[in-house]
Amino acid sequence: MAALSSSKHCCSSSSVYSSSSSFGFHQPQRNIPFPAVSQKRLGSKSVSWQSKCSPSSNVILMQDGALATKKAAIDEAPPSKLKEGLLSVTLPEEHEQPINFNMNADESTVTITVVGASGDLAKKKIFPALFALYYEDCLPEHFTIFGYARSKMTDAELRNIVSRTLTCRIDKRENCSEKMEQFLSRCFYHSGQYDSQQNFVELDKKLKEHEPNFVASSGWKGCKSTFLLIDPTKHIRRCRKICASLSASAAASGWTRVIVEKPFGRDSDSSAALTRALKQYLEEDQIFRIDHYLGKELVENLSVLRFSNLIFEPLWSRQYIRNVQLIFSEDFGTEGRGGYFDHYGIIRDIMQNHLLQILALFAMETPVSLDAEDIRNEKVKVLRSMKTIRIDDVVIGQYKSHTKGGVSYPGYTDDKTVPKDSLTPTFAAAALFIDNARWDGVPFLMKAGKALHNRRAEIRVQFRHVPGNLYNRNFGTDLDRATNELVIRVQPDEAIYLKINNKVPGLGMRLDRSNLNLLYKARYSKEIPDAYERLLLDAIEGERRLFIRSDELDAAWSLFTPVLKELEEKKIIPEYYPYGSRGPVGAHYLAARYNVKWGDIGVDE
Amino acid sequence: MAKLLSNSCCSHSSLSTFSSVHNERLCYSGKLIKVLPSVSHFSKWAPRILARIQLTSHFELNSSNGYPLNAVSLQDEGSAANPQAEEPHFPELGEGDSTLSITVVGASGDLAKKKIFPALFALYYEDWLPENFVVFGYSRTKMNDEELRNMISRTLTCRIDQRENCEDKMTQFLKRCFYHSGQYNSEEHFLELDSKLKEKEGGRLSNRLFYLSIPPNIFVDVVRCASTKASSMSGWTRVIVEKPFGRDSESSNELTRSLKQYLTEDQIFRIDHYLGKELVENLSVLRFSNLVFEPLWSRNYIRNVQLIFSEDFGTEGRGGYFDNYGIIRDIMQNHLLQILALFAMETPVSLDAEDIRNEKVKVLRSMGPLQLEDVIVGQYKGHSKGGKSYPGYTDDPTVPKNSITPTFAAAALFINNARWDGVPFLMKAGKALHTRRAEIRVQFRHVPGNLYKRNFGTDLDKATNELVLRVQPDEAIYLKINNKVPGLGMRLDRSDLNLLYKARYPREIPDAYERLLLDAVEGERRLFIRSDELDAAWALFTPLLKELEEKKIAPELYPYGSRGPVGAHYLAAKHNVRWGDLAGDE
Repeated sequence: MAALSSSKHCCSSSSVYSSSSSFGFHQPQRNIPFPAVSQKRLGSKSVSWQSKCSPSSNVILMQDGALATKKAAIDEAPPSKLKEGLLSVTLPEEHEQPINFNMNADESTVTITVVGASGDLAKKKIFPALFALYYEDCLPEHFTIFGYARSKMTDAELRNIVSRTLTCRIDKRENCSEKMEQFLSRCFYHSGQYDSQQNFVELDKKLKEHEPNFVASSGWKGCKSTFLLIDPTKHIRRCRKICASLSASAAASGWTRVIVEKPFGRDSDSSAALTRALKQYLEEDQIFRIDHYLGKELVENLSVLRFSNLIFEPLWSRQYIRNVQLIFSEDFGTEGRGGYFDHYGIIRDIMQNHLLQILALFAMETPVSLDAEDIRNEKVKVLRSMKTIRIDDVVIGQYKSHTKGGVSYPGYTDDKTVPKDSLTPTFAAAALFIDNARWDGVPFLMKAGKALHNRRAEIRVQFRHVPGNLYNRNFGTDLDRATNELVIRVQPDEAIYLKINNKVPGLGMRLDRSNLNLLYKARYSKEIPDAYERLLLDAIEGERRLFIRSDELDAAWSLFTPVLKELEEKKIIPEYYPYGSRGPVGAHYLAARYNVKWGDIGVDE
Repeated sequence: MAKLLSNSCCSHSSLSTFSSVHNERLCYSGKLIKVLPSVSHFSKWAPRILARIQLTSHFELNSSNGYPLNAVSLQDEGSAANPQAEEPHFPELGEGDSTLSITVVGASGDLAKKKIFPALFALYYEDWLPENFVVFGYSRTKMNDEELRNMISRTLTCRIDQRENCEDKMTQFLKRCFYHSGQYNSEEHFLELDSKLKEKEGGRLSNRLFYLSIPPNIFVDVVRCASTKASSMSGWTRVIVEKPFGRDSESSNELTRSLKQYLTEDQIFRIDHYLGKELVENLSVLRFSNLVFEPLWSRNYIRNVQLIFSEDFGTEGRGGYFDNYGIIRDIMQNHLLQILALFAMETPVSLDAEDIRNEKVKVLRSMGPLQLEDVIVGQYKGHSKGGKSYPGYTDDPTVPKNSITPTFAAAALFINNARWDGVPFLMKAGKALHTRRAEIRVQFRHVPGNLYKRNFGTDLDKATNELVLRVQPDEAIYLKINNKVPGLGMRLDRSDLNLLYKARYPREIPDAYERLLLDAVEGERRLFIRSDELDAAWALFTPLLKELEEKKIAPELYPYGSRGPVGAHYLAAKHNVRWGDLAGDE
């Protein structure tokens, strides 16, 4: 196991690691390759605690669109020392407790470079997520964070910007400001052009300045770090430069990982081109394509639900499931920032990635193990078993302005950054089918939209009606209205509930649908970490389960590319729907064609 | 019968394939729907209530002298003379030509006071009883009507969600209660009762229900007298019998034979009040109207089933009756076994009583008699806690000092059919334990080839799904699932998919007796025990009971208020089961 994990773990720099005996030893407990991870992170309480705060040694970079991780591992950790570290870590089971353990784990450093540090995503999500990880002791002892962007800024200015968006988890307010200070003192900034090798070499130099410290003090060798990208449209160009400089600098020791944010192209061709370009400089296992929906708590829980509960797995097929609905809605529009969106549209922005990924996770066969490769193999199989989407099976919409209660809400094309004649869909619904033994004939309905009446993301599984139901007459004529339904609400207010038919207490025999309910807020007092925290930590730990592999991406695009092309070529006009409404009625007709009723717009929701 | 209920019949009458009984029930529930929603809807019914109040004002006038109402007043009440004027909103009120009389034999007893009269009142309060009904108390005690009313009124309560008019309703109800005192074996006295009943019935179609709330040794006398002298000549006569139905196969057979001398099978309503519990009723709904449960309902997925009953008090000075029976006869052979049969039966052809009872009998007959080694018995002993001392079972003055009657028992049962072969059904029942509860726990098997097994430690069976139906207190259904603890890392725990009745259904849940009395009135036999069911149930337990008694097996003593004898754990362990109610996470 140790051997296995170490070899896996060491992506690009495996030789360095494997040569170090200490590494092999310590790896199993830390981050890393799956088996090891599973042991730690999946382990029993004490174990999981350990794992959670594993002294991982990596770096991440990110930016508007990308992150890179880098880690510095060190060679000669005296095994005894490591052991000690471990033991001290294996504390009581209260893993939630902020424990200040001194990881002797100082054996490695992680440098996380956020490329595009002045961007919105960086400020709103990435720095706060990094801080949360730090706050919860999930980052290795020695880590530094670099911001990289074109803006001229000093370290102090960056810290200033960053500090404005940091918050402490509600359940752990103690020492918050102290922690913030410590965190900020590890944040640095370097300004440079994204396509200038020169500038990146300067960055590399600065990184080395920070890393050697540890090397000196601990006698360990530092590792190299990494990078990432910004504006999606310029991915390729930038990537080339960045990667070139990076790979050069990262070779010394440790690994270099690059986290990339969507969009990964606009269609099969551009996506393939991007992948090709990235691969000129990076290995597959250095590329971490992030889909932050996969980091959502309830999406992660999907596999747990299916595979660790006997009661669900037998039901998970066409024999019992009538349809599956993947629903995403936002209650706001582009709000003056439609420039990027208009180029992509809701199908590329939400469906082709987030919803399709959830679908694949939902529908996949049982993987051989929880290893990233095993899971991703299964996901790819699902995607490749799917029928190409026909244009008849897609409904698109675009929101128009609407005045309600004296307030008027702008339509999509009222957005100044959107062309007046834009046909870009802000809403789409689609029916997808998986042609395999498990799912043949079961419609998977997706729906995603902006400027709708509520904000939510959920997975709804509608079961078939009970054959020969003894209580038929209690249900009226439409038996499908009284079927069981499993709802996994991803946001807001995470919850799992199963609608069951139940007798209304009292004399007489009246049935209703009640919920067997698990509301996270009520059950788990701890705040649920942001998806980015999980994903950044996974990247640092080298856990690839939640990142998208190149072949997955290809398969996803090949599903959607034809229909996207057709929509654009035929200039299909979206159905207009008022801002704040429930979306175009076309979605209902689409559902009706497959004998489905949207669960989120039912009476009882 | 159909006539009797016709006034409440709503629009559902076209559901012809249902038996007539079901039709009636559905109609009732239609009515229930209307009443339920809110207080505002309630106003709809005000006219009827008003009408009833007007009616009873006649009553008051007529009965204020303290004597039984005469026939005239009843006719008024029946409003046959002038229904339109009094109840313009209920022109369909056609039931004036049938009457229902409920005679509680043993009216001065405890059960009658605590359960039967209050249940009858609740039914009346909620308009479930037909327009023309009278309640008669019968026992040896000399009392007049007023005294009976006095006695009853102390235990009547109104449902919490409908306190309005409570006083009025009580008064009206009490006006319909009468008393006749007589010997249980005197045909002459029952003849007197009969003539009183006839007075009240006023010559209309009469349906009579006798509730035998008396010791078993006089069942037969009463049935003889009642059926020969006080049976209805025009409508039906039904007899509700409470446990115990004998002590073993022979005595139960004997009782059944004697009853059948005077009654036909469909006149006998053997009550098992656990079958009237809301969650027991719901068991079939859960199974048969939810796709998600039925596929799981077999040995393929279910590892074991546990039926648990516990009381947190002992016999408290009333152990005389109990000592003659013991916990196995008192709880297991009837309540728990009935639940087991309902739980395990195959899908019946329909919800008709005969179809359901046929399936239950099949379950019971597929079971082998209990083996002594699959049973453990216990008896509580005195215990002092926090300065307070609780008496042991044999400290009860009504219990012989050397009694070895079990107050606790646990047993493993097996059903040898295709669905359940090898699945242990564990029962546990006890008095003077640490909690009061009744529940059904279904433990599922572990996930084969579980991907997450390293998260579960070595014993995979500790992390299986479990479905719990809590019958009392705090009715609930919950399904324990393995879930990821939110947060970074991958830690799993068991969380509940939960349905707590209190939270979901604000209405108070009716007492089991209400449901059962109503069913008996309506002729719905689904929840009553048929003779062949009873035989089969006794056949399972009789050999064991005999052996326990012949061998004088000493019960394992356990302290009052404890979790019961540890023997129960060893019994469970033997069948690879762990009691769900004593697990750490409950």
